[in-house]
Amino acid sequence: MKTTHVSAVAQTVTSNRRQFLSQVAAWSAGLLAAPPIFQVFPQSLNAATAEPLLSVGKGTDYEALLVKVFEPLGGIAPFVKKGARVVIKPNMSWDRKPEQAANTHPLLVKAMAKLCLSAGASKVMIFDRTCQDMRLCYASCGTPAAIESLNDPRVTCSFVDDRKFVPVKIQKGRSITEWEFYKDAISADCYINMPIAKDHKLARLTLGLKNVMGVIGGKRGQLHQGLTQKVVDLNTVLRPTLTIVDATRILLRNGPSGGKLDDVKELHTLFASADTVAADAYATTLFGMKPDELETTKAAFAMGLGQMDLNKVKIVKV
Amino acid sequence: MDRQDACPTFFIVNFRLSHIPSKWWRRAAQLLCLFIFLWLFRKTESDGSGSIAYGANIFFRLDPLVAASAVLAGVKFIAALWPALVTVALTLVLGRFFCGWVCPLGTLLDIASHAIPKSTTPPNPRWRVVKYFLLGVVLASAVLSCQIVGYLDPFSILVRGMAVAVDPWMNRAVTAPFTLLYQQTPESVSNFTEPIYAFLKAYLLPFQQNSFAFSIVSFVILVGVFALEFAERRFWCRNLCPAGALIGIFARFSLLRRFPARACGRCKAETDYTARCRMGAFNDRGLLQPESCNLCLDCLDDCPMDLPKFTFDKPKTAPAPFEPSRRLFLGSVVTGMALPLVSGAVHAARCLTADLVRPPGALPEEKFLDLCVRCAECMKVCTTNALQPVLFEAGLDGAFSPRFMGRIGYCEYNCTLCAQVCPTGAIALLPLPEKQKFIMAKAVFDKELCLPFKKAESCITCEEHCPLPEKAILFKDVEVTHPVTKQRVLVKQPYIVWSLCIGCGICETKCPIEGKSAVRMIREEAVPPAVRNDREIMEMPSQR
Repeated sequence: MKTTHVSAVAQTVTSNRRQFLSQVAAWSAGLLAAPPIFQVFPQSLNAATAEPLLSVGKGTDYEALLVKVFEPLGGIAPFVKKGARVVIKPNMSWDRKPEQAANTHPLLVKAMAKLCLSAGASKVMIFDRTCQDMRLCYASCGTPAAIESLNDPRVTCSFVDDRKFVPVKIQKGRSITEWEFYKDAISADCYINMPIAKDHKLARLTLGLKNVMGVIGGKRGQLHQGLTQKVVDLNTVLRPTLTIVDATRILLRNGPSGGKLDDVKELHTLFASADTVAADAYATTLFGMKPDELETTKAAFAMGLGQMDLNKVKIVKV
Repeated sequence: MDRQDACPTFFIVNFRLSHIPSKWWRRAAQLLCLFIFLWLFRKTESDGSGSIAYGANIFFRLDPLVAASAVLAGVKFIAALWPALVTVALTLVLGRFFCGWVCPLGTLLDIASHAIPKSTTPPNPRWRVVKYFLLGVVLASAVLSCQIVGYLDPFSILVRGMAVAVDPWMNRAVTAPFTLLYQQTPESVSNFTEPIYAFLKAYLLPFQQNSFAFSIVSFVILVGVFALEFAERRFWCRNLCPAGALIGIFARFSLLRRFPARACGRCKAETDYTARCRMGAFNDRGLLQPESCNLCLDCLDDCPMDLPKFTFDKPKTAPAPFEPSRRLFLGSVVTGMALPLVSGAVHAARCLTADLVRPPGALPEEKFLDLCVRCAECMKVCTTNALQPVLFEAGLDGAFSPRFMGRIGYCEYNCTLCAQVCPTGAIALLPLPEKQKFIMAKAVFDKELCLPFKKAESCITCEEHCPLPEKAILFKDVEVTHPVTKQRVLVKQPYIVWSLCIGCGICETKCPIEGKSAVRMIREEAVPPAVRNDREIMEMPSQR
């Protein structure tokens, strides 16, 4: 009895194979024709408070310096919740050594990863879409090696995977309305922005706001026309939980790639703020410039992304 | 008959250890060499360290044909090719073992042959001499500086076919379904598939998806070698392979010989085992040709009498006479000598286009083509996919040689990998500081395309990426009338510092213009002298 039933089913299946295949094809075509577009809503605009806090520290022991800079901000706990998936986005864009000041210092990134782990992060992901060959940049900047020395499976410093760029609607965008973002970056619970302060001929300086260029896909050179507004538009989507600017050494000329040690100035300074605009405004002063000399900072302030008037920023020196 | 009496020997190579069939020793060696080859092929890739410890180029360096033709054409001793002498020395002792035990192409043909039906009418055995003709042509033309070994050498055909076609295509085929699953299915599915992909990525797939111009041509040539298996087993090795021919000539003097040197009557009469020989090594009189036998050892296992042995004793029977006639030899030399005349005529007519740029460290064009064996290792290893095969842009005898294409990729400032894997030194391995000064080309702006000139928009993506510590692209702040708004605006107009530019091409790669880049790499000598200075904005010369 049972056997006849089974064979009847089998017969139906075989006789409908053509139909089945066409259904599969139709479904697959439907799936392919509809690429998912992600909509990311800024969790909060709490960064854009009237009087943001900015903590500045100086020192040569970078690990201790980082911990010290966190003290006025209430430590790491307010930023990294237990079990959080954290992204640390340093600058690792160039095939340059740490002393050439083109990339964020590896020891700072390592110290930051350690701090996140101590706060109970379940995963710490570190990556950057480089401007030169990824393998060379990662090897030269020293961060992957520093992270490996932590020997903790929760921390990864892996290459950017092209398949992970997803199109995102930029709803507040004035110059661009859609761009590809790295999935891990926009889906993280906590995004820590760790730029190095550098010279940049077109933007004048590259700081926290421009560091977003490392988590976006597409042809980035096309953002160079009207760069200011485009960078700010991207920042309306990706709002860092915290921006920590590496000014342990800064690149004064021939940026952003540098290469000459003469162009590097050692400051041993580090500062952090939940307000990227305030951090950028402060960083500008290190180059002997005023915050409003930097178009990107001005445009971001105009769009309400943060405070650029340093008189209204609570600067705590530790 | 007492076999020990029949073969009074002081040393018999006895593969009959325990009960393992002899051919399994050969098969094990073949698989090991194939594995090494594939592993080295995968290793011929940047790991970020800036050097390649082992590369698949060792197989080219073991190849006496590559060594002979490169030394003859380049008229210089190439120290890196010393392993070829090891192959020759071992051949003088063991015979043509290289083709049966080592050559990865031979192994792949043996494997593929199982799946390929055979023609019912075997080809004429006289095909065997064709390989000597090809060998003569390759060497004779090499003497006259016309290098064609890259079109006929088995490793060139294999490695090039794999590097420009099989490897990138395989990567695409394997990656596509995982990407689809990753992007279109819920995490419950991709959490399962992604670790599999990560594993494949780590051990099987190349680091990045490359693509190459004319890859189909190299692929068809490689497939053609396999298709010849339809005619008979190892048709390529028996009849066409010039490297096998050269090794075979040395094998005629080898110390290790098969005993008996003649297929016995029983073998011929009953099932004709000689027809089963994968190399067709017995001539029409049943005599073994040492230059054909690749020591596959099948006959040791097949013989019902358990008769054949390989021995170092002086053979009593003279081996089969050497097949190629004097006429064939002369014909091949004449043909080989005539080839440079043909290609020379083409040389005279050819005009190297201004944008035919060679890899960093490449010797001057003529010397470069003398030494390049078209192995495509440089293209395989290039981290940015910038090195591409040419078809006929460099003349008839320049096909498959590497060309630098700045729109596809650029030359990494701190990278010398292409020179490291070049087996013959066609791309000279310069110390890094010297390579960083090597002028491959010069960047030239096309004001008809460049945004600051054409549309009065500042861009300078090119300036940002210039890797030189003292940038070779600078810009001037110039006040111009905006073409649309008609207002006076200040734009940053880039220019090349002639004395600094090394032509690495990163500006051409990163130029945000769609299609043709607004800054392009032109061979230095093709840039008009009038614009060779450090202050003026260089403009596109005509393409000649």
